[in-house]
Amino acid sequence: MTGTRSTAEATLGARVVDARWPESDVDTLPSIPGFILSDFTPLVAAVAERCLRVHHGEPPADPARAARTGLVLASARGDTTTLRIVTEAVAAGRRVPPLLFFQSNPNAVLGHVAARWGLGGPVVCVSPTGDPMADALACAELLIDAGDADEAVVVVAELGEDGDQTGGAEALLVTAEGRA
Amino acid sequence: MAERVAVAAMAVRTGFGRGGAGLLGAGFAGTPAFAPVTRFDTAGRRTDRAATLPGCPDLAEELTGVVAEVCAGLTAAQRAATPVLLAAHADAANAEVAAAVVAGTGVAGVPRTYTNACVAASTAVADAATVLRTGRAERVVVAAGYLVEPAMFGLFDAGRALARDGRARPFSRGRQGMVLGDGVAAVLLTPDTGSPLATIEGWGRTGDGHHVVKPAPDGSGLARAIGTALERGGVDPAEVGYVNANGTGTEFNDAAEVAALRRVFARAPVPVSSTKSVHGHALEASGLVELVVTVLALGEGRLPVNAGYLGPDPACELDLVLEPRTAAPRYALTLNSAFGGANTALLVGAP
Repeated sequence: MTGTRSTAEATLGARVVDARWPESDVDTLPSIPGFILSDFTPLVAAVAERCLRVHHGEPPADPARAARTGLVLASARGDTTTLRIVTEAVAAGRRVPPLLFFQSNPNAVLGHVAARWGLGGPVVCVSPTGDPMADALACAELLIDAGDADEAVVVVAELGEDGDQTGGAEALLVTAEGRA
Repeated sequence: MAERVAVAAMAVRTGFGRGGAGLLGAGFAGTPAFAPVTRFDTAGRRTDRAATLPGCPDLAEELTGVVAEVCAGLTAAQRAATPVLLAAHADAANAEVAAAVVAGTGVAGVPRTYTNACVAASTAVADAATVLRTGRAERVVVAAGYLVEPAMFGLFDAGRALARDGRARPFSRGRQGMVLGDGVAAVLLTPDTGSPLATIEGWGRTGDGHHVVKPAPDGSGLARAIGTALERGGVDPAEVGYVNANGTGTEFNDAAEVAALRRVFARAPVPVSSTKSVHGHALEASGLVELVVTVLALGEGRLPVNAGYLGPDPACELDLVLEPRTAAPRYALTLNSAFGGANTALLVGAP
């Protein structure tokens, strides 16, 4: 769980991502207390954690910067695993696992990241219709241009299709200076 | 750069029907639209109540309908240059819904659907205002929709978030939780020219950085969002004459929101109501439904009632609007908070 630029480096246009999952064929996803059954939340949490460690070391983040650091999560399809489990339980007349109440919404994992790192900026989740990273960066730029944040952790995450449920994710920190 | 943003047109559909008449009539008077759900089986749930439109409406059709309503005054060329920001529950089918809205209305496109829970629509409004103020577009439509369906109903029931008594009682003694409600709305936002329905004077967006889903009990994150909205609009708290609160009717959320309001309005108490008490909680769409309610209140000079009230809760001492009240505030706030500690405040100016 100590992603660095050297291991996670990739370019997105002119940008370099700070973190990605998986970093290798044997990369694992740490579980998150209170989140069950789906890899979506651990996936988002893992890349956000790796990204924040690149810039802040150990949590919590530098309070002076953290107060105005936002979180942007873009996922075209979202947590399809949790939605499928809930839909199937409801259709079969089974009780829905109460923990899924929280994780059914992408805000919950961002709340986990924000609480762990002490981030006080806006929390934004989107389903982009175009390229997810391009749209996530556009959202971060809107937050910064509006003056609602000085920095934003941008995460793009997708579960895999066709039974390969883990998928992949990337993250980077966008700053006002970086946009100049 | 345009400083103010105008609400040039708006459309709304709730359990009170399609259009604002029922909402403005029975809704503002405090008569809720809650009734037994007939759209799906609620056997085994804590409640069978919600505020729904008749039948089983289709989300893409309803969103297309409200976008078409607010674009009715635009030429085809103007529509083709107008982007739409959607807000809805995170779903793999969102791209299909977005495509249907574009095909059905002739708008420029939908870059994304905001899915950040109960601040999704208000976040989209803040982004739309930024798009306008920075000259990225000349017009933006924000549209949001939630239609009560079995998956969310089952999840909120499993999370013990729904009121067993089938009534939303925000800020009241004996409140038991929320009641879900259909909500589909759209606003056409433009630079402030002509004769708008209202203006967006400011906004604030913050995160509590406190917990996965619980709000910070001291209300500090929401208070920062309100403070940012007021500062952006150059408006003093004493100039705000109405707050449409998030007011979900849940124990801790309401108390945290009261703490935030006390921080900002300590010296100038302000009339407050949560209209979730009549139209229910429209989840991702709630921010836009409640913006429409706030614009209606400013336009009509009437404050909507905080319904379902059983009596005071010491943790929720506010100037609650418990009876229909005539008022002509220059400014109003509409507040939303969500899972993840997300908060938004929109500062709305009277026309």
